[in-house]
Amino acid sequence: MTKPPAITTAEKKTATGSEALLDINSIGISFGGLKAVQNFSLQLPAAGLFGLIGPNGAGKTTIFNLLTGVYQPDCGEVHLASQRLFKRPPHEITAAGIARTFQNIRLFPNLSVLDNVRLAGQLHNRHGLLSTLLRTRGYRFEEHLLQERAFNLLEIFDLQDRAHELASHLSYGHQRKLEIVRALATNPQVLLLDEPAAGLNPQEKKLLALSIQQIRDRFQVAVLLIEHDMPLVMEICEQIIVLDHGMTICRGTPLEVQNDERVIAAYLGSGLTDG
Amino acid sequence: MTRTPDSRRSNGSASHAAVTGSASDSPSGFLGNTLMGLMPFAVGILLASLLHFGLPHVIPGRAGPYYSRIVTDIGIAIIMAVSLNIVNGMTGQFSIGHAGFMTLGGYMAAFMSYYGSMYLWGSAETHGGFLGSGEWLFVLSCIVGGFLAAGAGYVVGLPSLRLRGDYLAIVTLGFGEIIRVILQQTGKVIDSAEALKAGGLSQMIPPPVGGALGFDDVPKYTNLFWVYTILTVTLVVAYRLKRSGLGRAMISVREDEIAAQAMGVNIARQKVLAFVIAAFFAGVAGGLFAHERGVILSPKDAGFQRSFDYVIMTVLGGRGSITGVMLAAGLLTALPEFLREFEQYRLIVYALLLIIMMLVRPQGLLGIQEIWDLWPCRRSTSLPSSTVATSATSSPEAR
Repeated sequence: MTKPPAITTAEKKTATGSEALLDINSIGISFGGLKAVQNFSLQLPAAGLFGLIGPNGAGKTTIFNLLTGVYQPDCGEVHLASQRLFKRPPHEITAAGIARTFQNIRLFPNLSVLDNVRLAGQLHNRHGLLSTLLRTRGYRFEEHLLQERAFNLLEIFDLQDRAHELASHLSYGHQRKLEIVRALATNPQVLLLDEPAAGLNPQEKKLLALSIQQIRDRFQVAVLLIEHDMPLVMEICEQIIVLDHGMTICRGTPLEVQNDERVIAAYLGSGLTDG
Repeated sequence: MTRTPDSRRSNGSASHAAVTGSASDSPSGFLGNTLMGLMPFAVGILLASLLHFGLPHVIPGRAGPYYSRIVTDIGIAIIMAVSLNIVNGMTGQFSIGHAGFMTLGGYMAAFMSYYGSMYLWGSAETHGGFLGSGEWLFVLSCIVGGFLAAGAGYVVGLPSLRLRGDYLAIVTLGFGEIIRVILQQTGKVIDSAEALKAGGLSQMIPPPVGGALGFDDVPKYTNLFWVYTILTVTLVVAYRLKRSGLGRAMISVREDEIAAQAMGVNIARQKVLAFVIAAFFAGVAGGLFAHERGVILSPKDAGFQRSFDYVIMTVLGGRGSITGVMLAAGLLTALPEFLREFEQYRLIVYALLLIIMMLVRPQGLLGIQEIWDLWPCRRSTSLPSSTVATSATSSPEAR
């Protein structure tokens, strides 16, 4: 690391009071008169595992869309490792190190499992049209590396046997898993998981909880998790932020959140008492 | 660029692995790789010359030129359909202005070769024999026509960043019509070298390419050799593109734009690139068409009717399937010739064929597959499992 950025990060640390990898500073967006997200702030440390919960329509996915550049925030700032991510297009944000999965699965159905992963892995490849068409040595080497990395990832998640199948031919649970693999293939610093447990059976949810923690440890990524499954969230998250109507109503450890009156009120007491 | 030192360090093992993975008996080393890269072109040129010199022997006599005309038409149709397939099939945009690019390139090429040979050799007759100077001028003209069309493709590709589906289709349709109308406003063809040399540069505005009457007397250089050589280039480019990272990115745009963006694909770049590549080959094909025997280049070639022919070929062939589109282009070009006796029913048969196709096989003849995917023991398009096993052990570190 060179000197000047080191100083600025040091300053930042003292300013925010924490070692935030992803620093979200009071972002907000409104659609017409509807304030979908207001004044949302979050300091996600490196290799942190935070949860984002709230009733339906609270603005959780909107926050993901703001972070990944699908929507442009009306106000506020987002920094990733002191790199400013403001009004940047989605692909640049992904290249900067934020990857996501989708609430409703968005794989490339007519590409093979391997190609889904390779596509995500190629974003830093620099070989252009000419070397592609002439199949130059550098291009072949790059494709070879890409393939190797893709297979490694698939192997970690035990999907290597399905590598040549079309993504649409996978079972629902495998598709969910492939979404995570694909997001990891972009080599992210921050992984945003949007309801990864939706539609999984209790057995699969348990495995998912385990693998989210393993992903965090193995790939050293910070994870921000949206999830409706309270036992899962309470089990694995270090910090939880509760949203309601676009406002942050509570943040803290799982225990603190469970006992917060506003949270219980927002959920009408459901789901949290038995969590 | 950042990978260069890294790649240099581990070059040996990588090239070794690549060789064992893809082509086991290919010579390794720089020369070997380059030769392998150029091999498909050599094979294609060989086949093209076989066709060029062989066909007159297979079908001698009066029917010869007729059949060679059909084979030429099939070649041009395949170039058009395969290139359109890069936009419509691979990238999932919907262009119905492909004939616009073709005609633009064709006019440019015809303009260059007609006035070029008039300027160089004093007449617009064909000059030189097989691979003679005249043919090289013709090939150069076709390539220039391709570049002009590619430039137009860039301009037409830009709105595709904001428009989707039907709206983009209307823009591309409009483009074809604009080309048609502009070409109708061009000046009279200058028919002698003296007149060309006497008049100044001012006679070039508007370009003297015949206006609504069409561009007659373009030297007839197009032959089977050149058509099938350029077809080879088109096919190799389309296939390599499809199998490459760029192709994957294009297909991802077709599959799901939002997910593609989230995976770091610059969708704007991919769409424009697809349009530029497709337009280039359409322009070159236009050049071939313009110099074909029996063709009078006219502005109405840019109209939507011709564009639609190519759209039908890509739809029938299958989204993104190069061999499927080739098959469809070949069939749809050759069939009308054999149905000449029933000419008045031809359009009815066409329409029925399309309706039946849409009902029975909406994904096209081959869908997203290539023809060899249908083979029972299908050739794996990626590395065999042995390489996979070694790759897993060689670097367990994923990051």
